[in-house]
Amino acid sequence: MVVTKEEVQALYKAHILPENNNPYHFEAKDNASTSLDAYNPMCGDKFQLHLNVKDDTFDTVHFHGFGCAISKASTSILLRKIEGISKVDAIALCEKFLKNLTEDNQVDEFDKELNTLIALKHFDGRIDCIKLPWEALLAHLMKG
Amino acid sequence: MLKNTKTYFPIFKKYPDLVYLDSAATTQRPKLVIDAINQFNSFENANIHRGVYDLSNSATKNFELAREKVAKYLGSTNPKTIAFTSGTTNSINIVASSFLRPRLNKDDNVVITLLDHHANFIPWQMLAKEKEAEFRVVPIDKNGNLDLTVLEKSLDQKTKFLSLNHISNSLGTTTDIGEIIALAHKKNIPVMIDAAQSIAYYDLDIHQLDYDFLAFSGHKMFGPFGIGVLYVAEKWMKNITPYNYGGGIIKDVTIEDTTFSDFPFNIEAGTPNISGVMGLSSAIDFIHKFDKKEMIQHISDLVNYCTDQLISIDKVKIIGNPENRSGIISFVVDGIHPHDVASFLNQDNIAVRAGMHCTQPLLAAMNTSATVRVSFSIYNERKEVDQLKNSLVELIKFWS
Repeated sequence: MVVTKEEVQALYKAHILPENNNPYHFEAKDNASTSLDAYNPMCGDKFQLHLNVKDDTFDTVHFHGFGCAISKASTSILLRKIEGISKVDAIALCEKFLKNLTEDNQVDEFDKELNTLIALKHFDGRIDCIKLPWEALLAHLMKG
Repeated sequence: MLKNTKTYFPIFKKYPDLVYLDSAATTQRPKLVIDAINQFNSFENANIHRGVYDLSNSATKNFELAREKVAKYLGSTNPKTIAFTSGTTNSINIVASSFLRPRLNKDDNVVITLLDHHANFIPWQMLAKEKEAEFRVVPIDKNGNLDLTVLEKSLDQKTKFLSLNHISNSLGTTTDIGEIIALAHKKNIPVMIDAAQSIAYYDLDIHQLDYDFLAFSGHKMFGPFGIGVLYVAEKWMKNITPYNYGGGIIKDVTIEDTTFSDFPFNIEAGTPNISGVMGLSSAIDFIHKFDKKEMIQHISDLVNYCTDQLISIDKVKIIGNPENRSGIISFVVDGIHPHDVASFLNQDNIAVRAGMHCTQPLLAAMNTSATVRVSFSIYNERKEVDQLKNSLVELIKFWS
């Protein structure tokens, strides 16, 4: 599916740039109970996810680092979604989101923010930017 | 300036609006080369060195003629100085594995520069680790130039090898390899040149430059993917041993042991990329249509013009300001990640590269994690630079 320049600009203007300019909890928290890297060696995008977990639930979550507007917005949205939910629910959310992101057709319904990210998968090779923090978090959680 | 060079390339007929500014990643392919590959695949296909029938004999003859042509392209009268590989990376790894590994000992050192691509960085780094040798990376100044005095000081009695690129694929720095090779040879240090970015445009005559090893890829000189060259000076040919075992490289095989052919045949195990060699041969024919000085002048004009245009845009910062720059410019746009810049330029049919360009230590030294890179070839025109500028200005306005 080809996305026109106007469509991409509209998506950026409405969702990506605001998220990129005002990311959620964009702050290094080196004393968090868990920290992990979301790193794409192909392009150099690298975010540190700082996660405080209490009773198997994400209590407060922060992130910091360097990346493009899409990967930064994606990380920001991911963190907002997982704060306050259990690890099990976070795994389910990551799996469901990544499934809809990578398959040809979106089969599940999401809120506006996640739908925007999924819509951007058609934007010339940027799917890795969207997936970056979701895959990193899922891999971390699946390791136990 | 060269004129009408786009007409040689079918891709520009198919996409007349394409602004291709990524020739450092791969050059576009002229019809001449495409036809040569198709000709071989359609009407001349046979394996080499193994058949006694006409098609095989003809393929073998053309394959070896291509070797001769590549040797002549470098000014070598000995086609046996030329081995066909899969590309620059493969060629460098062969020298690391076959030549330097047996000669490098604990506490020796191997020298490269910060300008080098990972392909000319990691093989030496890993070998040095394995041998407990020192891996020396010659620094650059803030403009992206090599300081030859610093480089010379890095070469000492324990230096067993120097490898460096002619042109930086990230910053475009063109290094005076002739002077550096002479410096190293005064200390009896063999030198390898990564010529991936210069082979299409620069005269790399062996008699002028006296390098010991040279590596390049077909696809960065208008040829096909998957074919490359390793040149080895005659005095070192006997020191290149097989790194990859298989058919086609042997003198004699018994249950007890195997003896091998001499270089270059001892590193061409298995069936080579024959159609790729035909394409490479044709790419050299294509380059011979042009005067190399005119090619360099054409690209230099574009780079100077592009530099001026980029500097004129508020928020654009060019990374590095080398004294001698080839057809490559890296830049960043304040507040907009290179990946986003490249994606938006793509919306305007402008193809550029964004990222680390396989030069992570170099970009770290230049205090950046990623850049946008534009690179020019003989088919680019000034009006494409204008399009780049207009798109960047529009993007910056949109982003703010």
